[in-house]
Formats: sequence, structure tokens, C-alpha cells
Amino acid sequence: MTTDATLSTHLQELRRGTVVVASLTVLQTPGYGYSLLETLSAAGFEVEANTLYPLLRRLESQGLLTSAWNTDEARPRKFYRTTPQGDAIATALRSEWTRLDKAVTDLDSRGDK
Amino acid sequence: MTTLIDRYVYTVLRRIPEQQRTDIDRELRTSIEDAVEARVAGGSPPEAAVEETLLELGDPDRLADGYADRKQYLIGPELFETWWRVLKMLLTIVLPIVVVALTTLRTLDEPSIGTAIGSAISTLITVGAHMAFWTTAIFALLERTGVARDELPGSNRRGWNLTDLPRYEPRAISLGELATGIIWPVLLIVALVLQQFTFTDQPVLNPDNWTFWWPFLIVVLLLEAGYAIWLFRKDAWTHTVTVVNAVLAVLFTAPAVWLLATERFFNPEWVSTLDWGTVEPLNWLTGIIIAITVIGAAYDVIEVAVKTERSRRGLPTKVPGTGSEYTNPI
Repeated sequence: MTTDATLSTHLQELRRGTVVVASLTVLQTPGYGYSLLETLSAAGFEVEANTLYPLLRRLESQGLLTSAWNTDEARPRKFYRTTPQGDAIATALRSEWTRLDKAVTDLDSRGDK
Repeated sequence: MTTLIDRYVYTVLRRIPEQQRTDIDRELRTSIEDAVEARVAGGSPPEAAVEETLLELGDPDRLADGYADRKQYLIGPELFETWWRVLKMLLTIVLPIVVVALTTLRTLDEPSIGTAIGSAISTLITVGAHMAFWTTAIFALLERTGVARDELPGSNRRGWNLTDLPRYEPRAISLGELATGIIWPVLLIVALVLQQFTFTDQPVLNPDNWTFWWPFLIVVLLLEAGYAIWLFRKDAWTHTVTVVNAVLAVLFTAPAVWLLATERFFNPEWVSTLDWGTVEPLNWLTGIIIAITVIGAAYDVIEVAVKTERSRRGLPTKVPGTGSEYTNPI
């Protein structure tokens, strides 16, 4: 395996899960698939449509998102919204993220001494 | 005419469970149309926008797999170890026993090198394939019904603990050897009793011996099983063990060889049903069984004697399966 391929595997492993945190956070205001995709990539999350769309349905089946069809506009869209349970999970995941970030930073400062 | 988008969506839907299709159909189309619209607004010609959007979504089969959320493997890492262990045990221990047993039975019926080899190979392939297939099928089923490793028989439900670590000190005999030491005599007793009634039209062994010698051998076999239990609990190789083992070996081997040599072992009526062409069946059977019995007994006596001597001198003993040696601290 080349260094590039190794790096990309590890990056993928590191990023896996961040999309969940981001989606649960963004969808506290209701949104539909494509709008979420736009928001996430504008915010700097590298996520592909073919990963995100199935993920939304999976989170819904886990009870972290609810969905409703909005037929008011010309193009009917399925809107997702984070449930209270999804909120709780997002909060837990984010505090874990902060803890890990601090832990990694601390590793550096320990090396400086 | 179906559009590119239709073709893409249908290809995805084909691999999705029916009850989810309507919803995914609507949602996926809207998402694609949204993306196309955004590209057109960005200045792309409509056809190119559709193509780019679909190419970005990628292989419809993979997308469908994502939606269906199905397992893309037969046996996951949770059950893999157990599956592999069971399969190895079946193929290396049970399969050879079955092959030898069936080949022996068939060769007794129709003795020729050709039958023996043919039967061995065909049994090996047929039974081996069945074992591998059914084991894998059962484990794939367990994987899909959500059975965790802890729930399988033979695993301890309370979870792993430090006391589960094997001691690796050379015990007199391991639990496996204890099981063999009990099962083997019991199997022989069962075979000895059953051959009188089943297996063949005429009993294989001489029924006259039921007056004394067969019951005597059954008692000796029971003593062999008792010896295994005694040795397991005693937990050490001593000279007493060597002597008891040797006495039991002689008690079994001497009468068996004597019965064989004086042609009282096999049932003459069963021997007369054998037709091995130019070969005289009785001589061959007698020779083979005497050889197996004597060599087996001698090997057993010598092995036990060697183990006892090593243990007495405190020589290092191999710990099975680790490549390391253990010396009993004296």
C-alpha cells in the first residue's frame, strides 16, 4: 500500500462519525437531503451524496431523526429534523470530540517539555 | 423513452426491499433534480448537469446497498473465530474418523485396494463438503439472526475472567485427554455390544465368548475409563501410574491376542460370509488386529513410562500450542 492510500484509509476512519455529528446538529432546523449536502460541504465536511442519503434514513430508523413530506412547494421534499434523542446523542458525541481534541493537544504539549 | 434519471433510479430500486421503494423513489428523484437544478443555475447545459450529477452519485448498486443496509459479508468478525474453530475441528478430527470408519466398513464388504482408495476419496470429498457447507450456512444464519458470540453454547455467559486463563503447567492429562480416555473405552464397549445385534447379519465376534471373555474385556475397558478419571484427579505422573497403566494394557491385550491367535476371536459364521478371493480373510484380519493391539499397547506403555520419567527428573515439558517449555520448579 502506498503512503497516499494508507493516509486516505486513516483519514476515512477518522472522519467516519463526524458526518453523523454534523447532520444531527444541522438538522435541529428541518432540512432535506440536497440542502443538507450543500450546508455540510460549505461548512467543510467532505461527504458524498451516496453516503449521506442512506445515512439519513439509517439515523431515522434509529430514532435520531424524524421526517415529514412537505408538499407545499412545486417539488415535494422529505424534510428531516433531529429528535430530542438525536440531540442528546449529538451533545454526547460533541463533548467526546472536544475531549479527544484536548487530549491530542495535550500530547503535543507534553512532547514540548 | 426512459430518461437517464429514470434508468438510474430504477436500477437503485431493483435492489431495495419492496416496502421502502416508493419513499426512496420520490426522495432520490427530488435529490437528483435539486442537484441538477443547482448545476444548471451554475451555468451547465441541462444534459451535462444530469450526467455529472449521476456520475457523482456513483454506482447505483452500491447506493442501493447503502439504503438496504444489508450485511455485505457472510460471517462477521464477531463469529468468525468460533466458525473457524468449529470448522477446523470438524475437518481435522471428525472427518478423518468418519472416512476411516466408512472406508473400513466398505472394504470389509468388498476388499480391494481400488474400493478402499475410491471410497476414501469420495467420502473425504462428500462428507468434507457437507461439513464445510452446513457449518458455514448455520453460522451465516446466526450472523443474520443477531446471535452474539456470548450466546453460543460453550461460551461462558458471565464474560471473560482472569481465572479463564489456562495454567499451562504440565498436568498429568488435559481435559481433552480425559474426555478421550473416557469416550474411547465407552465407544469400544458400545461397539462390542452392538456388533452382536446390528452392523452385520451374523455377529462379527464369536458369541461363545459372552460366557466369559467379552464381559471380562468390558470390565477392563471400564477400568481404563476409571484410570483416566483417577489420573486426571491425581494430577501427576508417578511410578504407580506407570504400573497401573501397564497392568491395564496387559489385562486387555493378552486375552485379546490369545483369542485372536487361537481363532476364537471372530465368529466363524461371519468369517465364512467373507469372500476375499484368493486371500484367506481370517489370517489377514487376525494378523492386522494383533498388530494394531500390540503396537497400540506398547506405544501407550512406553509413552506413559517416558512421561513419568521426565516428570520425575524435572525435565522441561513442552506446553502444547505455544512452542515454549515449562520446567516444574522443584
